[in-house]
Order: sequence, then structure tokens, then C-alpha cells
Amino acid sequence: MEITLTHYLVLATLLFLTGMLGFIVRRNAIVMLMCIELMLCAANIVLAAFSRWHLDLGGHVFVLMSFAVAAAEAAIGLAILVEIYRRRRTVNVDELTTLME
Amino acid sequence: MYTQLLPVLLVLSVAVVFAAVFLGLSYWLGPRRPDPLKETTYECGIPPRGTVQIRFFVRFFLVALMFLLFDLEAVLLYPWVLLYGDFLSAGQAAFALGEISVFLAVVVVGLVYVWKKGGLEWQ
Amino acid sequence: MLETLQVNIPSWSDLGYWRPELTLLSTFLVALIGDLIVRGRRPWVPFTLALAGMLLALGFAVADLGEPAHTVMGSLIIVDGIASFFRILFLVAGLATVLFSWTSEEIMGVKREAKGEYYALLTLLTGGMCVMAEARDILMLFLSMELVGLTSYVLAGYMRTSLRSTEAAVKYVIFAAVSSGIMLYGLSLFYGLTGETTFVGIREALFANPPHPYALLVVVVLVLVGMGYKIAAVPFHHWAPDVYEGAPTPVTAIFSVGPKAAGFALMIRFFYTTLVAGPEAAGTSNLLRLVDWPLLIALLSAVTMTYGNLVALRQTNVKRMLAYSSIAHVGYILMGFLLLTSDGLQAILFYLLVYMLMNLGAFLFVVAINNHLRSEELTDYAGLGFRAPWLATMMFVFLISLTGLPPTAGFIGKFFLFKAVLAQEWYWLAILAGLNSVISLFYYMRVTKAMFFTEPAESDGAAAPLAIKPLEYVVLAALCIPTIGLGIWWGPVRDFADQAIARFNVGI
Repeated sequence: MEITLTHYLVLATLLFLTGMLGFIVRRNAIVMLMCIELMLCAANIVLAAFSRWHLDLGGHVFVLMSFAVAAAEAAIGLAILVEIYRRRRTVNVDELTTLME
Repeated sequence: MYTQLLPVLLVLSVAVVFAAVFLGLSYWLGPRRPDPLKETTYECGIPPRGTVQIRFFVRFFLVALMFLLFDLEAVLLYPWVLLYGDFLSAGQAAFALGEISVFLAVVVVGLVYVWKKGGLEWQ
Repeated sequence: MLETLQVNIPSWSDLGYWRPELTLLSTFLVALIGDLIVRGRRPWVPFTLALAGMLLALGFAVADLGEPAHTVMGSLIIVDGIASFFRILFLVAGLATVLFSWTSEEIMGVKREAKGEYYALLTLLTGGMCVMAEARDILMLFLSMELVGLTSYVLAGYMRTSLRSTEAAVKYVIFAAVSSGIMLYGLSLFYGLTGETTFVGIREALFANPPHPYALLVVVVLVLVGMGYKIAAVPFHHWAPDVYEGAPTPVTAIFSVGPKAAGFALMIRFFYTTLVAGPEAAGTSNLLRLVDWPLLIALLSAVTMTYGNLVALRQTNVKRMLAYSSIAHVGYILMGFLLLTSDGLQAILFYLLVYMLMNLGAFLFVVAINNHLRSEELTDYAGLGFRAPWLATMMFVFLISLTGLPPTAGFIGKFFLFKAVLAQEWYWLAILAGLNSVISLFYYMRVTKAMFFTEPAESDGAAAPLAIKPLEYVVLAALCIPTIGLGIWWGPVRDFADQAIARFNVGI
């Protein structure tokens, strides 16, 4: 069986939906960030697959850049979570209610 | 279409059956006389203490983040390397070198910042 | 085999068109190093550096106003009329924020750490917003949005010891990350549909080979999620009230205008380039019909303004009330996007400029009052009209301008927006926006009533005049005078917007 573009797209869609579902269902901020990484990963798979499909390197470069951005985002996200854990002893987003009405 | 994958399937099924049979046999035939000492976790011969889910020291996070960031900045050099030939043939090698130097300078500023702020100290 | 990348080989001479951004980015690095050298003990060093850098960048931006459109960094960035317009808007907002932060107790209070980094980050934020207005490639679109985003998270959580500030940062990071993930997925599908990364290339591929309507609709909606989050349009607004309330007030001030206007700049360039070939060609594109664009935007706009205004009505915290009011204003501005025409674009640009002046002014007033009262509650605003008469009067001007009453700039801005909507015969949307303006009058006037018609509580020193710093007067007056001035004589700014549109380049 040959692996075609469709397979990559289906894989990416499943990954994206998994990430989305996890983001909606889970309440632990770190797990939510991990789910977001899954979504970014799905987008990267789409980019890489289409890059091959269109025979154009632009998509590959995009993937590298989005890696770097995802890392930076994760780094800042984790740093902020560590800071809030120090103050609150929790990273459950349902318990962060100082700013709610 | 699938025929070339048949050997792989065969190996997999043999492995699964083999493992299942022997695990089942040992479960069925083996004597079981549990006592408290046998049920404890094996930890290199010393008595185990604490729980499995310990909290990591927060410094590990910091080191991991630093590693992640500087590691991924190295990835960004690859496209530049790929394109350097094009720049060379277009007579723009100095520009390409200049640009990557600016990039590296920014990374170095980041490193100096982390260093001076004590991000690399363990204490 | 993959072909080699087709590149538009960039060169040094391109960078001449990018002087403001280069100035801002190098100011960021210099201010960061400068802060390290003085070991964070002399915050005036990075403050002065940031101020000087922004002034220099503003000078360059003004000097480059008449330049023809030019690409920078190969095909990634374009400096044209729209870019020049937004550059000036961002730099003015950045300058006002830097100046006002110097007076702010939240930023400069005795116990605060890392005051220097704050100014460095503000410079970087301004630079990132300028790049957002210049991106002409989906790669640069994503990178510039993330640059602004990453800087914003840190600024929102800048008061590390404050529960509210760190909570704002967490909420910001999580919502921003998920919406940028969704947008990246949309962008990757755009790339998949067309095989191009530049906006122009995407348009040409879409026009030559129109995709299935549903495919295009899904992709457009995914991208709209990312941009809708950036401009805080309902239903992607959940982060905005919490972040605006929790972040230090000067940071909130720039959040409410800067990244929001930058999001609009991105929307303008992206949708005016990919779905239509520029504002003049709006009628000729059938892609808009394919995705039912006007209805999509009309619904987004209607929901956003109604929700923002209704929730703002029952706020007791002025900062949070202004946060909801800024959501409502996004709804008004979105009306200009209905058919991607040049009328709409002109109204958007004019309104964004006016909105920058009045909203920044209103938030900076909150900063000034917070410096003295340590509170943003409406009840504590009682009697401010007597304790700080000049400041309160200026706030009154900002508030009537935000409502959209003459003779202020807000009225003219809304007038252009309504005109653009009526010209497209979207009557229900115009009527809804009118009703919304009436609703907004109630909560804006509640602040006025508290300031001028309520006696302050009888306690120690609660009625004493406030010792307002000269810098606070100067910056607020610098925002207040044009807010009234533009309501009477708007010609020059309108011409400025027209020129920006005339030099809006959707080709190259």
C-alpha cells in the first residue's frame, strides 16, 4: 500500500482533533499546553506533506520556523505556569478565578 | 499490495503468540507464595522510600527550557546553509554572512542575558 | 526530487526601507544589555534608550512616508502605504505608553523588579506590531503574530508577585497558543490549496483555480479564528477581559490598541490581498461570494458589538468595563470589512487612528488614578471631578468620543463606518450599531456621573486634591487635544488615510 497525501492529511486531522478535544476536556494547564503542541504538530505535518506534494521547499522552511516558535511558546508558557504554581499551588485552570466576575 | 507486508505480519503474530503462551504457562504452573517483603518495590537492594510521583526541582525546568531554546535556534541555521549556495552564485555571499551573523549575535545576547541573570547557576 | 527554493535574493539596499523596525529591534537589544550593565539599578537607562529608539524610529517612519512600495527580506515583507500608516500609529501608541509607564506605580513602584526589561519589551512589542502590518507572506504573518504574542505574555505577567497579573498571563498564554495553533492549521491548508506562501501567490492560485467553496470556507474560518483572537472579537474574546484587568494598566493600555490594530492591519493585508485584488477590485472577485464573506463578517461584527456593550453595562471595575468596551469597538470596526471595499478600508483606518487616541487616553487616565488611589473601582472614582478637575475633564472628552458623540473624533470615525455600511445597504447592521452606541452611552456616562456628580466618601483625605505629575498632564493632553481637534477638522487625517490606501500595494 502506498502512502499518499491523503494519509498524511487524515493523520494530521486526527492529531488536530485530538489536540482540540484534549484542550477542551482537560483542565490542567500543562496538559492543555501539550494538547496545543499536538495541534501545532498537525499543522506541521500538513505543511510538510503539501511541501512534498507541490514540490516546493517553502513548506519545509515554514515547519522549521514553527518548531522554533512552538518551543519559544512552550518555554514562556511553562515559565509562567511555574510562577503561578509558586503562588497558587495549582495549575488547574478552573481554580484560577481571581479575575472572574 | 499487502503481500510484501506478509512476513512482517507473520513475525508479529509469532511474537505475540509466543509471548502469550509463555506468560500464560508461567502464570498457570508457577508457585505463588507472596509475603510482604516480596511485594515491596525492588530498588537496587536498599529499602525503598518515598513515593514514585516525586516533584522535580524547578531548576530542571529552567535547564530544560534553556536547552530547548538554544537547541532549536541551531535548527534555524539549516535553511540558511541550504540557501548559501544560491547567495554565493548571486554574488550576495557577504549579505548572507552578515544576516546570519546578526542572527547569531541576537542569540549571543540572549545567552549573555541568561548567564548574567543567573539562569545557568544551579544555586 | 524537490526543487531548490525559488528566492528573491535580498540585499543590503532593501534594509534601507526598514529603518524604523531595525531601530526598534536594535533598541531592544541595546536596552537589554544596558540594563544588564547597570545591573537593573538605574531604570532610567533603559527608559531613555527605549524613548530615544522610539523617537528615532518615528522620525524614520515619517521620513519614509512618501517612498514607493518596496519589498524587504526577499518576498516576506512589504513596506507600502498601509505599512507606513500603521507604523506611525504603533509608534505613537508605543511612545505614549513608554512615557506613561514612567509615572506608573504598578511598573515603577519601589518593590518592582526588572524595570529595565519592561521598557526593552515594550520596544520589542512595538517593533513586532510594525512587522505585523508589513507581512506579505503567511510565514511572516505567523512569525510576527507570535513575536507580538510572546512579548505580550511576558508583559501581561510582568508583576510577578501579583496573583492577578500571573493569572492574566496564564490565561493569555493558553488562549493565544490555542488560537495560533488553529490559525497555523488554517494557514497550512491555505498553503496546501495553493502551493504558495505569499499572499499574492495565494490569490493568483485561488483565482486561477477556485477551490471547492466549503474547503475555502473552512480555511478562511480557521484563519479568522487566529485573527479574531488577536483583535478580541466575540467568540474569541474570552481572554480579553481577564487579561486586560489583570495586566499592569499601562500594559493594558497598549494591549487595547496596539496588538488589536496590528491584528486589523494583518486582516486588511491578508484578506484584501488574497480574496480580492486590492480595495478597488472588490466587486470583481467571486471568492467573496464563494465563502459568503459579508454575512460571516456581519454576524461576527453584530455579535461582538452587542456582547461587548451588554456585558460592559454591569461592570463595576472601570478597567474591566473599558476592556468590554474595547471588544464592542472591535465590532464597530469589523463593519468596515463587509465587502472589502475602499470605503470600508478608509473608515477602518480612520477609526483605528481615532480609537488609538481615545482608548489609550481612557486607559492612561485609569493608570493616573491608580497611581494615587490604588483602585480601579467605580465607587472610588467618586468626586474625582473635584479632586483632579483637569484630568477628569480630559477623561470626559475620551468618554464622549468613545460613545461617538460630536464634536469629537469618535463621532467622525463612526460616521465614516456607518456610511460605508449604508452604502452596501446592510441596514440591519447599521441600526444594530446605532442601538449599541446608545447602550454604550449608559456605561460611559456612569463614569462621568461618578466623577462629577457623586460626593467622595467621608474619610481621611478622601476629598483632598490629587498631586498629579506634570508628565501625566502632558501625555493625556497630547491625546486629548487631537481627540477634539479631529472632531472638528478631520480633513488632514482623512487624506492621510486616503494616501495610505492609494499606496496600498497588493501586487509586486
